[in-house]
Amino acid sequence: MSINLSTPTAAAEVPDIRRTRGGFLWQVIKDRPSAAVGAGILLLFIAISLLAPYIEPFGLRTQVGPVFCRPSAKHLLGCDDGGIDMVSLLIQGGRISLAVGFAATLVAVIIGGGVGILAGYFGGATDIVLMRITDYFLVIPDVPLMIILAALLGPSVRNIILVIGILLWTQPARIIRAQVKSVRERVYVKRARSLGASNTRIILKHVLPQIAPLLIANTVITIAIAIFDETALDFLGLGDPSAISWGTILEHAFVRTAISSGAWWAVIPEGVCVTVVIMGCYLLGQAVEDALNPRLKVAHLSVRRFRMRPLGALGAALGGARP
Amino acid sequence: MRGADYVLKRAAFALITVFAAITLNFVMFRALPGDAVTNLSRVPKATPELKHALLIQFGLDKPKWEQYLIYLKQLTHANLGVSFDNSQPVLKNLKTDLANTIPMVTLGTVFSIVFGILTGILSAWRRGTLLDQVSTNTAVAFYSMPTQWLALMLIILMATRYHFPTQGISDPFLLNPTPWAHIKDVLRHMFLPSLTLGLTLYGEYTLVVRSAMLETLGEDYILTARAKGLPPSQIVRKHALRNAMLPIATLIALSLGYIVAGTVLIEYVFSWPGIGRAVVEAVHNRDYPMLQGAFLILTVSVVFFNFVADLLYFKLDPRVTE
Amino acid sequence: MSLLEVRDLHVWFDLPGGDELHAVQGVSFSLERGERLGLVGESGCGKTTTILALMGLLPPSASVSGQVLLDDEDILAGGEESLRPHRWTDIAMVFQGAMNALNPVRRVGSQIVEPMELHDVASGDAARKHAGELLEMVGIPAARLDHFPHEFSGGMRQRAAMAMALACNPKVLLADEPTTALDVMVQAQLLELLVGLTKDLGLSLILVTHDLPVVAQVCDRAAVMYAGEIVEAGPMESLFHEPRHPYTRLLFAATPDLLGEEEVVSIPGSPPRLDRPLVGCPFRPRCDRAFERCVAERPILKTIDAGHQAACHLNDIPARPTVGATP
Repeated sequence: MSINLSTPTAAAEVPDIRRTRGGFLWQVIKDRPSAAVGAGILLLFIAISLLAPYIEPFGLRTQVGPVFCRPSAKHLLGCDDGGIDMVSLLIQGGRISLAVGFAATLVAVIIGGGVGILAGYFGGATDIVLMRITDYFLVIPDVPLMIILAALLGPSVRNIILVIGILLWTQPARIIRAQVKSVRERVYVKRARSLGASNTRIILKHVLPQIAPLLIANTVITIAIAIFDETALDFLGLGDPSAISWGTILEHAFVRTAISSGAWWAVIPEGVCVTVVIMGCYLLGQAVEDALNPRLKVAHLSVRRFRMRPLGALGAALGGARP
Repeated sequence: MRGADYVLKRAAFALITVFAAITLNFVMFRALPGDAVTNLSRVPKATPELKHALLIQFGLDKPKWEQYLIYLKQLTHANLGVSFDNSQPVLKNLKTDLANTIPMVTLGTVFSIVFGILTGILSAWRRGTLLDQVSTNTAVAFYSMPTQWLALMLIILMATRYHFPTQGISDPFLLNPTPWAHIKDVLRHMFLPSLTLGLTLYGEYTLVVRSAMLETLGEDYILTARAKGLPPSQIVRKHALRNAMLPIATLIALSLGYIVAGTVLIEYVFSWPGIGRAVVEAVHNRDYPMLQGAFLILTVSVVFFNFVADLLYFKLDPRVTE
Repeated sequence: MSLLEVRDLHVWFDLPGGDELHAVQGVSFSLERGERLGLVGESGCGKTTTILALMGLLPPSASVSGQVLLDDEDILAGGEESLRPHRWTDIAMVFQGAMNALNPVRRVGSQIVEPMELHDVASGDAARKHAGELLEMVGIPAARLDHFPHEFSGGMRQRAAMAMALACNPKVLLADEPTTALDVMVQAQLLELLVGLTKDLGLSLILVTHDLPVVAQVCDRAAVMYAGEIVEAGPMESLFHEPRHPYTRLLFAATPDLLGEEEVVSIPGSPPRLDRPLVGCPFRPRCDRAFERCVAERPILKTIDAGHQAACHLNDIPARPTVGATP
């Protein structure tokens, strides 16, 4: 997934959001079913991951059944190549997959946020230099870079987080920069500056709250990309082999001939988990973005057409009753 | 020529970026701590003769900035070094790899573009209906699937049932095939990898095309076209598509650059001997010259296609003059 | 027989949540050959929706009832199907702000030729030649056929849009705020052009605008719309000197005089919501002469004089001075 799902909005069209961050997000979830579904999926998986030690039916390192045993009442999704229960593995796997996703996104947002705020707020030479660096970063193909960095740094969860974060900071940087630039020109910010407020104070108090909603949308989508990248690195053998994540589960299955053994239950479920989580992130992120950029235009062309009503009093009386 | 300065500016940007990529390439492999090339003791399969030859060729006993200059000079001679793995020139290996990757990628990309555009237009046209929702959500679903997992799924579902090969580019047991038999064999091997690529990619095109079409259909000139009495099919063809094609064409051009890089996972699963798999193997074998060369080629291709996208946008949109 | 006759036109829009917006409430008027009719009112009064309905350019959320008789044929009866054949060949439109009404990635010439070929009016070189003539008619050199819209200034784009509207020799030209967002000089030229064209080509014109001086310059007659209905209609002279509806009177008074001699009176308040049924006279909350009858009974458009109609209860009161003469 090298290509970004969303493009940064034009700085000119940033809406003035005076609602609280929490309130806005809640509003979007209430208004749009896709956002609710996305948020629901994420919350479900987060909950499962947090409760993992309490809900895993079997142990993770001990053999509890035959190698590649089929799904049964005892093992709902069968066992892997080591006779370990798949359901337990999946529940546990979510922990690292989600954790890496969130952590890498955090790294990306911190780096990107820093760059974006500096570039957007101070403008001028700072802006030009930082944006050039961003442009060059964007052009570098991310998958090979990711692979090379992971190989150079060594296989550990911490390194994976770092590598993915380094890959993903450009999108938040651009979005934040656009936002900051637009907010900076707003009247209340100018007023604050003329009153002598320090730059830091202005950034924290006035600029950041306005950025939050659009950043949420981008962050959620970045989490999806981070999870995707993590599974890719694991699959290529560059992840931490002792960590249990959906990516390593898939890698084990592949390397240990699950396919030729016909053990589809060792292959399919972890991918389903990743797909569902990524979809959830995308739905939520896209819904928030749509809410911020309402497409006010009515389509002038559509399959459906305007309707005719019978003449006169009958037509007026039928007002409210649709054909 | 109109906008000659625009073209020149973009070309200059592309060249500078390539140069930056070359420098980054050098820094990553030579200047980072744990320098891969210099520390030859970590290189498997390196015979003493090779080590000595490398020392001379890359000037590994000289200071870093001199090595950088040597590196640049070698590049101008199209010398990307020698593979640690098979002791062949890197460029030669990469040429073979690229020749394998490109057909497979082309097939998959064509499928994804065509299918993506069609579904995107259909979804926009039938906005809000069940068809739109199904189409859009399916696109998102495929887009969300880990590529390697989709590949494995296709193998599980299709390989045995329909007798599609899942490994390599051709059947090693097919002796002295006729050209036609060989092509057929390669195509059969290409089917699953290309299909995987196509399904992974099409989703993005669907979503972008749909979005671009909806945006376009809300423009005033569409109402004008309708006012002129044009039937809907003509409005879509002559007005909506023309305008929606702008973001679509640039997206296609941009994504082409990244696709080659993105086939790593697919080639790995299917053991397809292309540049993606070469990167993975080079990583596993610590074959740094190969890695360095491949990375450079991939970066240059992305820059190149970005430049093409700039030109395309310039040509398609008469408003671009700056 | 009038060229165009609109009878009891209603337009509703579906609103999210199941309600309806009754945007046009029983509009009736007629247009004679060669006549220039103004449709005047505040934004939101339904004037644009009315003329869009004449060509059937409404979104799927709209429902329509009423009759639109073109040469005695009800073209509205079959909805989109019966309207489409008449588009551009009988009725054409110049849209508000032709900035985007012209397709930015196609050359102006091809956009003028397009309807000609579509409706078999002309094709190939003949069409191109005719397009060039049309451009010349609106004061643009024919050589600019091959230019793109963004190469034209705002005023030129509007003129090009006019040329395009005339491509199939329509009988009726609808112009929706054609001069908004243009500066005053350009505006005056454009309006002169409009008047000249309609006279020379024998066109009928319906000009929609909120700008009274524009109507005054161009039109012989005008209909004043408020809250989705016509509240007064008549010759420009009558509307100006003897308005028979308080809204008309206040409208003319609210227009700033160039020399600043008249006192500028703005009308306080805002138009009523159209997503709920209206009781009584829609203008009553803002009217300075409302009385008891206005509260519960909605006025009907009645004829006062020859060609002059108004919908106001004040006109029913005998032997009273007129609604308000302009000093």
